[in-house]
Amino acid sequence: MSGLAVAAILAGAILLAGTVSVEVGLSVAIVELAAGFVVGNAFDLTAPDWLTFIGTFAGVVLAFLAGAEVDTPQLRREWRASFSIGAVSFAAPFVVVGLLAYYGLGWNHRQAEIAGIALSTTSLAVVYAVLVETGLNQTLIGKRLMSATFVTDLGTVVALTVLFIEPGVWIIPFTLVSIGVVYVLPKLAPWFFSRYGDRVTEPEIKLVFAVLFLLMWLAGRAHSHAVLPAFILGLVMSDHYARHHKEQERMRVVAFAFLTPFFFFKGGMSISASALWANLGILALLFVGKMVPKLAGVYPLARRYCAPHGTFTTLLMSTGLTFGTISALYGLNAGIIDRTQFSLLVAVVVLSAIVPTAIAQRFFQPTPTQIEQEVRT
Amino acid sequence: MPFERIVVAIDGSECSDRAFDKAVELAKLTGATLTALAVEGPLPAYAATLGEVDEVKREKDLFFGALAAAARARAEQEGVAVEVAVQPGHAAELIVRLARDRAADLIVLGHRGHFVRDHLLGSTADRVAGHADCPVMIVR
Repeated sequence: MSGLAVAAILAGAILLAGTVSVEVGLSVAIVELAAGFVVGNAFDLTAPDWLTFIGTFAGVVLAFLAGAEVDTPQLRREWRASFSIGAVSFAAPFVVVGLLAYYGLGWNHRQAEIAGIALSTTSLAVVYAVLVETGLNQTLIGKRLMSATFVTDLGTVVALTVLFIEPGVWIIPFTLVSIGVVYVLPKLAPWFFSRYGDRVTEPEIKLVFAVLFLLMWLAGRAHSHAVLPAFILGLVMSDHYARHHKEQERMRVVAFAFLTPFFFFKGGMSISASALWANLGILALLFVGKMVPKLAGVYPLARRYCAPHGTFTTLLMSTGLTFGTISALYGLNAGIIDRTQFSLLVAVVVLSAIVPTAIAQRFFQPTPTQIEQEVRT
Repeated sequence: MPFERIVVAIDGSECSDRAFDKAVELAKLTGATLTALAVEGPLPAYAATLGEVDEVKREKDLFFGALAAAARARAEQEGVAVEVAVQPGHAAELIVRLARDRAADLIVLGHRGHFVRDHLLGSTADRVAGHADCPVMIVR
């Protein structure tokens, strides 16, 4: 099949996924993953190089956007209370899944690390949507939970960036440039954006993309991943975006319209239905490997810091989606994991977005009266 | 029947407008307190970014904010005070829950009548009628 034919099929499927997501009330990411899965397996398509390239860049843009969406004043206020929950939420599944993959499934240590990272994540967006729906986002518990999710995500991106670095000279420029842009861009942005921004040519988006491409190139040379500097860069830019909401909106438009669909589609296309079917037992094992340490590790802390909603918040901390997919896709693109391992990891990530959320909302959701009382106090 | 606390569901549709008018009429006749619940519908489930959630929430807030203001104005014309609650989430679940929390003795809601969806999934009115602790008036 020609490159343009593949592009036409993908573009049509992405359009369909976008409309279906609106009609059924599911996030577009989940529908795009599912559409990629169906198209990839039905047409037996392998992702072309350009799709892998755009998908990889989109993953870094998603990390930047995730950092930029953090409410930093709230994070500063709740950092201490949230740190223990967030750190345990990352460390417990990372260690347990890593050991399970290494000793139980016979994966090599790099594959086990990818598994541990991909299944250690907590989805900030899934948590946020549930908190907004319940009204808990206005309470202290909701704010703590959001900050804890940030800490978990930080653990994930640090591990993904640091663990796979190969000793060599390229570590130095990667580190120095990362620190440099994190320091300089927030200072440069107000001047640059006021002088060149607010135009249809979008110089401010081009500036961010140029920096992200630079980080990706240097990270690639250092055999690492640019998600950590991208995430931190987004974080240090979050105050600026909070004051200039339109700039952030335009960035999201570009990302959601063109970049992230290819990221999730590529993720879905790379999942092998036959590999999943042949390994249902391992799928279940990995799912349990993620959920049990998350629940067991977070629950005692959630009871302490998030009472009376300990179970509800623990279940929400067990969700995962974007960073889990980014981690697994990095492993696949870098040749660390194979397609079967990728399929299993992404399937567990998607299950972990759906199952704990559904259980939390069905059985443990706080009543509106409880929330109203907590908002008042 | 002397109602004391009435909960009415509104969503901006014609049938919910009729249900709201009926609830206002009943509240006026019986002197009951009236609470209108505007259910924004769920936010995108399992979102990948906060932006996706925020955008949908903002659109819904705009629409339902205007709807709440219109409901207050209509009730005021009839001399009835109404408390309007706007909440995101699943309609049937929230209506039943709010009625329970407010110890309502009547729920009023409209029924749009969508043949395929109602037969496949059941309507919101069916679900509220099946789970509510108090009488439910369905206005067509």
